[in-house]
Amino acid sequence: MTTGDERKDAIGYAFTAPYILFLLVFTAYPLLFSFYLVFHSWDLITPPEYVGLKNFYFLMHDTDFWQALLNTLIFLAIHIPAQVVFSIMIAMALAEKIVAKTFFRAAFFLPVIISGAVVTILWAKLYSTDTGIFNQLLGLAGIAPVKWLTSTSLAMPSIAVMATWKNMGFYIVLFLAGLLNIPAHLYEVSKIEGTTRWQDFWHITLPLLRPTMLLVVVLSTFGAFSLFIEPYVMTGGGPLNSTMSVVLYMYKHAFLFQHMGYAATIGFALAAIILLVVLIQKKYLDSD
Amino acid sequence: MRTIFFTILFLFFAGSSGAIELTYWTSSNPEEIELGRLLVSQWNQSHPDVQVKMQPIPATQSSEEVLLAAIVSKTTPDVCSNILPAIMGRFTKSKAVLALNAFPDYEKVVIGRTGSKLADLFRSRDGKLYQVPWKCNPVMLVYNTAIFRALGLKPPKTYSDFSKAAETIAADRDNPGRWAMAVSIKTTWWQRLFDFYPFYVAATGGRTLLCNDSAAFNGPGGVAAMTFFRDGFKKRYFPMLGFSGNIFLEGKTAMDVAGPWAIKYYRRLKPGFEFDFAPIPVPDSYKGPVYTYGDPKNIVIFATTKYPKQSWEFVKFLTSKEADLKLLELTNQVPMRSGIVSDPFYGGFFDKNPLLRKAARQAQYVVPMDESQHLVQILDIISGQFEAAAVYAVITPEKALAIAAKKTQALYDYW
Repeated sequence: MTTGDERKDAIGYAFTAPYILFLLVFTAYPLLFSFYLVFHSWDLITPPEYVGLKNFYFLMHDTDFWQALLNTLIFLAIHIPAQVVFSIMIAMALAEKIVAKTFFRAAFFLPVIISGAVVTILWAKLYSTDTGIFNQLLGLAGIAPVKWLTSTSLAMPSIAVMATWKNMGFYIVLFLAGLLNIPAHLYEVSKIEGTTRWQDFWHITLPLLRPTMLLVVVLSTFGAFSLFIEPYVMTGGGPLNSTMSVVLYMYKHAFLFQHMGYAATIGFALAAIILLVVLIQKKYLDSD
Repeated sequence: MRTIFFTILFLFFAGSSGAIELTYWTSSNPEEIELGRLLVSQWNQSHPDVQVKMQPIPATQSSEEVLLAAIVSKTTPDVCSNILPAIMGRFTKSKAVLALNAFPDYEKVVIGRTGSKLADLFRSRDGKLYQVPWKCNPVMLVYNTAIFRALGLKPPKTYSDFSKAAETIAADRDNPGRWAMAVSIKTTWWQRLFDFYPFYVAATGGRTLLCNDSAAFNGPGGVAAMTFFRDGFKKRYFPMLGFSGNIFLEGKTAMDVAGPWAIKYYRRLKPGFEFDFAPIPVPDSYKGPVYTYGDPKNIVIFATTKYPKQSWEFVKFLTSKEADLKLLELTNQVPMRSGIVSDPFYGGFFDKNPLLRKAARQAQYVVPMDESQHLVQILDIISGQFEAAAVYAVITPEKALAIAAKKTQALYDYW
C-alpha cells in the first residue's frame, strides 16, 4: 500500500468518524447496555443486580403485558388498514387536476408537523364524554353522548382514528410520489382498450403501488407498535387498561417504577414481535 | 496600553470575587418562583461570600422524575425545596441526600420549628432525618359559596351530607348540567392524592396506606372511601372527564378538592370568585378529628454539594420565621411550624386571610404518604382499581382493594 493510499484511508476514516462515534454512543452502547439490563434489576440510582432470567419469567406471567400487547395489536388492526385506504384515496384525489391542489396537499400534511402532544390534547377535548364538541354536536342532533374515550370498546378505536388523521399526511405524500411514478402511457393504453376507472385502479395503480404500499405498511407497523403519546396524554392507558400500549407499559416500568431491567426485557420482546410481524407482511406484500 | 491592561486586570478580579455559589432548585409554579427569587435575593444581599443561584425544576409530568434523573446524572443542586417525602426512601437508599444529623444544631432547628410529633413522621427508617419539613397543603373540600348560598346548602361533613348536597345541585332547574364535583378519571398515580387518598385518610382517622410494608388500605375505611366515589360516579354526581380543566371556576361543579395553594390560583384565574374551605367529608359513623393528606413538600441538601455548611445555613434561612411569613403571603401554603395559628407574629396575616387560618388549623391533622420505594407503583395499582371499582363499577370496592393489596404484596415479594 502506498503512502497516498494510506492518506486516502485516513481521510475516509476521518469523514466517517463522526457517524461511527454517533452510532457507538447513541445506538450501539444503549443497545448493548439494554441487553445487559435484561439480566439485571436496576432502579437507576443503585448499582444493577444480576437476576438471571427472572425478568423473562415475570414477562411470561405478567398479564398486564399481554393485555398491552393485545391492545397494541387491536390498534394495529384498525390503524394500518385505515391509514393505507384513506392515504391512497386522498393521494389519488390530489393527483388529479383539482382546484387549489397545493393548498390541499399542504393542508393534509399539516397534522404531521404539529406537535403530537398538542394534537392529542385537542382531540382529548373533542372526545370528552360530558363536555366534548363531538358529543355536543351529536346532542344537537338528538343523539346520546358517545363514550369516545371512556368506553373499553371505543377508546382504542377512537385513538386509532385520531392517530390515522395525524399521520396520514406523510403516507399521502409517499403514495402521491408512487402515483406520479406510474407511467402515463399505461393509462392511455387502457383508455384505448375501454377499461373502467375501477379496472385501471385494480390492474394498473394498485400493482404498481405495491412497493410504496410495502414501505407504508412497514413504516406504519413501526409507528403503530410505538404507540405512546396518544394513550399517555388522552387516557393514561385506561379505561381499565384498554388503551395501555406496550410502549406505554414499558415507559411506566422504566421511568415511573424504575424497573429498568424489566423495561429492557419488554423492549427486546417488542423488537422480536415487530420483526416477526414485518416478516409476515413482507411475505404477503413483496411477492411479484 | 498600561491603562487598558490594569482595567482588564481589575475587571477580572472584580468579576471573580471568590464567592461560593450554591444552586437552589424550587418548584416551577409562579408563586414559588416569586418566593424563591425574593428569598434568594435577600440571602445574596446579606451573604456576599455565599451566593445562591435559583432554578425552577424543569416542568414535566412530575418533579420526582427530574430529581431522579438528576441523581443518576449527578447533577443535583445543593439544596432543593420541592421534595415529596414519599420518595425519600429512594434518595436515602442511594445516599443521594445528606443526613441532617451531621449538623450539630439540627434538632434545635428542625424540632424547634416543626415539633417532634410532626418531624418524626418524616424520620427515615434508620432513625435519621434527611429532610427539613417545610410546608404543607392540607387537602380539603373547596366549595363555591355563591352556589351553596343560592341553594341553601351547608358544606357537607359526612357522606350523607355530600349526597344530599349533590342531589340538590343536580335538581337545580336554573342550572341544569351542573355536577357536585369533578373527580379525575385518569389513572395517573398522583391523581389519587386528591380523591381516594385524602378521603381514605379522613375515613380512617389518619392512617396511611401501608403498615409494616403491607397494605393497610383494604380495611373498612378504604372500602368506605372507595364506595363513596363509586356512588358518586354511579349517581352522576361526578362527570366523566378526562380533562377537568377549570370547570369548578366556570361554575359547572360546586365543589373541588384542593389545598390552600388553590386560593391564589382561583383568584388569579377568576378574580372575585367566592369559595370557602371545609374538611374532607367522612363516613356517617365516623367520630373524632378529621384528618387529611397534608401534601407536604420538604427541603433536602443533596450529597453532591461541596458546601454542606453553607447549604445548611441557607436551609435555616429558608425556614426562618420571616421566610415562613413570606411563604404564607406569596404562595398561600402553610409552613410546617408548630403553633403557627396562635403565634402573634402571623396573627395579622391570618386576620386578613381567614381561609389560610382554616388551612393552618387543618394542618394540625395531616399525614404524609408512606415512605416506600414502591409508593408510586402502589398508587398506580390503587389508581387502576379505583378506575375499576369507582369510575366504571365493574368490580366491588372490597374486591378492588383486595386485588390492590395482593398486587402490593407481590411488589415487595418480587421487586
